[in-house]
Amino acid sequence: MLAFGKSTSSAHKRYAIRTIAFMSGYVAVNVAAIFGAFDDITSPVAAWGLALTVSAPVIGQIWATLSLMRESDEFVRAVVAKQFILASGLAMAVASVWGFGESYAAAPHIPAWMIYPLFWGCFGLIAPFVKSSN
Amino acid sequence: MKNRLKLLRVERGWTQEQLGQALGVSRQAVNALETEKHDPSLDLAYRIAVLFARPVEEIFDNPHA
Repeated sequence: MLAFGKSTSSAHKRYAIRTIAFMSGYVAVNVAAIFGAFDDITSPVAAWGLALTVSAPVIGQIWATLSLMRESDEFVRAVVAKQFILASGLAMAVASVWGFGESYAAAPHIPAWMIYPLFWGCFGLIAPFVKSSN
Repeated sequence: MKNRLKLLRVERGWTQEQLGQALGVSRQAVNALETEKHDPSLDLAYRIAVLFARPVEEIFDNPHA
């Protein structure tokens, strides 16, 4: 009885392709912004449209990570979920401390979108230590 | 969870990759089961039992028994 199920390697390949696609979009929009492509935007609606456009690849990357969990086998899903949850908790903790530091201790302001690279930094720190689903 | 998965696999001359393909999971998942880094779901435990034609408790020690 040989049943061939979902292959984790194919799930990882799809994740890699999606990540490259979303990050390419992210870089393209930001490079365009750096070179002044959106400098003429003045209306609030257009400005929010730009904010959503820049955010879209980030949202896409989060979707790609959640899709990796959905498409992987139960072991990989459990380990990535643990890593994701721990990294989210650590990133929220760091962001909260810094936010209150801004409120009460005159810490320099950091934009809210920094939570995203902070999350992946936390993920990178945590992942090598979380190799078990138990 | 202690188990005899590696013994059963080696008896049949299968690699972790081959067992993973037979079960529909990754080689990493098979390795994690063998090294007790993953407790299988009931569904996976039953798939393993069917594959090796043995009751689940002959493959996985019941920690509550």
